[in-house]
Amino acid sequence: MPTTITETPADVVILGVGYMSGVVAAELSIASLNNNKNYKVVAITKGPYWDYVNDFSTTKYDEWGVGLGRKYDSPLPLQSTTIRNTPYQFALPVRRYTMPIQYHALGHGVGGAAQHYGGTMGRQGPWGYQMLSQTNTRYPPGTIDTINPHNDLKDWPLQYYQYEPYYVQWENAHGLCGNYNGSTNNPGSDSSGYPWMSQNYKLPPHPLTPAAQLFQSTVQSAPFNYHPFPHVNALASQPYVNQYGVPVNPCVYDGYCGGPCDYACETGAKANAAYRTIPAAMKSGNFTLVVNSFIFRLDTDPTSGLVTAARYYDPQGNVHIQQGKVFFNGMWGYNMIRIMLLSGVGAPYVWNSDPTMVSGTVGRGMTNGYSPYKGTNVSGTLSSIGGNAYPAGNAGGGSVDIYDLMDDNFDHTGLGFIGGSQIGVGGYPGGGPGNITFAGGVSSASMGGTFKATQKDKYLQTKTVLSSTPFAPDLPTTDNYVDLDPHYTDIYGDPLARLTYDWTPNMYIGATYLANKVKDIFTKMGASSVTVSNTVLPGAVHNDWWGHHLRGGCRIGTDPTWSVWDKWNQCWSPTVKTPFNIFGAGEITNTSGDTVPSGTHVAGPQSYRAAEGIKQYLGLMTPGLVP
Amino acid sequence: MVDQTRREFLKLGLAAAASAAMASGIEIPMFGSQNSSIQTQLNNANTKIANLNARVNTVVGFLSLSVAEQSLLEKIVETIIPTDADPGAKEAGVIYFIDRALAGDYGQSANMFMDGPHILPRIPASATTPLSVNPTLSWATNPYIPGASTSPISYIGGGVATPGSGTQGITASPRVGSGINYQYPLNMREFWRVGLVALQAYANSAYGGNFETLSSANQLLLLQDLWANKPSSFSNILPSDFAYELVFMTWAGFLMDPIYGGNQNMVGWTYTGFNGVNFGNFYGEGQDQKALMVATTPTRLKPASLAQYQQQASGGA
Repeated sequence: MPTTITETPADVVILGVGYMSGVVAAELSIASLNNNKNYKVVAITKGPYWDYVNDFSTTKYDEWGVGLGRKYDSPLPLQSTTIRNTPYQFALPVRRYTMPIQYHALGHGVGGAAQHYGGTMGRQGPWGYQMLSQTNTRYPPGTIDTINPHNDLKDWPLQYYQYEPYYVQWENAHGLCGNYNGSTNNPGSDSSGYPWMSQNYKLPPHPLTPAAQLFQSTVQSAPFNYHPFPHVNALASQPYVNQYGVPVNPCVYDGYCGGPCDYACETGAKANAAYRTIPAAMKSGNFTLVVNSFIFRLDTDPTSGLVTAARYYDPQGNVHIQQGKVFFNGMWGYNMIRIMLLSGVGAPYVWNSDPTMVSGTVGRGMTNGYSPYKGTNVSGTLSSIGGNAYPAGNAGGGSVDIYDLMDDNFDHTGLGFIGGSQIGVGGYPGGGPGNITFAGGVSSASMGGTFKATQKDKYLQTKTVLSSTPFAPDLPTTDNYVDLDPHYTDIYGDPLARLTYDWTPNMYIGATYLANKVKDIFTKMGASSVTVSNTVLPGAVHNDWWGHHLRGGCRIGTDPTWSVWDKWNQCWSPTVKTPFNIFGAGEITNTSGDTVPSGTHVAGPQSYRAAEGIKQYLGLMTPGLVP
Repeated sequence: MVDQTRREFLKLGLAAAASAAMASGIEIPMFGSQNSSIQTQLNNANTKIANLNARVNTVVGFLSLSVAEQSLLEKIVETIIPTDADPGAKEAGVIYFIDRALAGDYGQSANMFMDGPHILPRIPASATTPLSVNPTLSWATNPYIPGASTSPISYIGGGVATPGSGTQGITASPRVGSGINYQYPLNMREFWRVGLVALQAYANSAYGGNFETLSSANQLLLLQDLWANKPSSFSNILPSDFAYELVFMTWAGFLMDPIYGGNQNMVGWTYTGFNGVNFGNFYGEGQDQKALMVATTPTRLKPASLAQYQQQASGGA
């Protein structure tokens, strides 16, 4: 018989335990970081604690179980989401994880989605924090409204240099690998560092592949004169100990990493909260981790508007009430939005076809941070370099990136889009084996003996196929948002999140331009048959993803009329009966950003900002905004 | 490992049954000159029985597919990945992979979101007949949701539905990716059952016989018909949806780890040059995996399976 259980009240209650929550857990539970105050911290997450030795090391090499079975990921029967392209449509629920495009699952358990990601990192530079004002400064008035109908692009509440110290803390905590980021100001050798970065990444990059080295030498030379740098990622290249004293094992390069299918790491080399920050919190003596528990509501005080407790179901169906002084919303993507909508915390976004008539903030400004399936593609064949296409290496490592074709690093006058794309070439073959994505990508052509012959020895390559699907950033509009679905519910009977989303013109107009730029690079590298294909035309594009790499939707900002959180990632909307005692950080609190530096990396500094804000909030005499 | 397919087993079984029938029909000969012939027959029969006994322990049976489904699906998967100079779906045991999947989580749609309402997504955006949806509003009066009981569901262009007011028309359907494409109120096992019956019916109506009896050229043509949605009637499922599932699962059965019943003897991995979990030294080859990942020429490795990996990890040979 399920009962209601009231837990011992805590100082800090953390909702969901992924990357951002791990930082807040460590920063608030370790007494020496809090003037020797022993704040009691409770963190609640819907999945288990994954032990990489016992849970991953002998069973992860399994495409079927991981790829379709999603054995380490969030079960759809527990909760799914619904999706539509416009507010005029009925939203259909995502019913299954399907190859090749619908395989990106939500994370499940401590570490969240970062248990299965590819570890891609890379800072967002100064431009990404001021996309709106920089565009207005450099280009004629009205440019942004022409490019982005129903524009809802905004500047961040802080500038890059203000986040820089937090970037350093976050990178040190997680042991990122790389050798600075490139910029147009870098010398060709990229050995002198990066002007945006006060210090280099903690660990060296992974060894470069021959294709990456060819790309590097090609783009460094005329006519490009770009500024390549080794791919930044979060898969430890060497043994490491972070500032909390947590030791990290290095990568062992046996593939089955991130990328297609999304594998787990059996050595803990892949950075996530479970193996970087949560162990430090555990050691503090002030931290309680509650696993396999599904948060379904936040209680609020009707007089003050403050959040008083989180309610969650345990696996037996009992309801637990966890009271706290301050709350941190670290849930992934639309779940961060959904719990607030379900609980009446914050002002729900209300869409209107007239962008001046929209209201509310929670769910507003959602964008897609990842390349769309069937986007504009450029490919070519390098006959000078072959290699192994079977699992070896790790996800993303071994490649070389450029930032020269992103941000405002080139003149956008008359191009019809802003921003651009990070371009990377030459990753290891080992992200994921690719058998399951191949099988899931079949068509009418995938049958019979002639087709079978095309598959013979396909993992043993005598040439390299170069391929890139660049696109410019998705820009916030008033028409892409998250709300509660009126028809479908989770397993407990609460409405699912509903995504209303379609590509914005900036993405596909930029994609065509960028693909042709990459075509020039591939050609100069000596590739043959370089072609731009599948050029995406206006009106022809629709969302194929259902929500991984969401950005925005629960933004920080300069004004509570459009942003949920302020410069401390503290809730400030609505402006009356404001729930000041809830903070939030994650990819979806990013105000805006260019493609493709990791939305997680960009969110990271906000988690340190939020932790600092929470510390200050706990010292306030009366609830209110941290000054 | 199983070294013959189900059909070979059936043939062998039929031959044994025929021998048994003959043996029982043979009159016991009375004359010594015939003894050696009888002895030979008996010896042969005994050898066959011994062979059968030996194979009973290794032959793989079926958990989910009916006898009719077995013979039909076997020909379908052999059409998709035919056997030529190299092994195909038959040698890989693809049908066993599919059978196991249908009997397990895949067939039960155990990791799928299956709640209603079920609405087929492929209604043209220009359709004039609106979708009829009954908003059950189970949550709309939930006391936890502020203001829920007074919030109507509104669809622009379709009017407003107040809680409990019945059906609501919506005039356009979304055009999004594959995860929302499967909207049938059937679990995958039911979907396959319905699909195989519909496919067989189409074989008879369009090609004049059961799929198994068609020429291999026509078998391939028929599968292509499904992809092109040529059958006008297909048990209320879109033929291309079923064709996708057939081809997806056949290739999965050829290429997934043998632990799931297909890719037997790792023939699929050998064919594609895939390494499984051999990272260069599984059999003592002495290859360095860090060298393999930046190599400029390919190295063929003998694949290793998950079971082998676990055996090695646990200290086994």
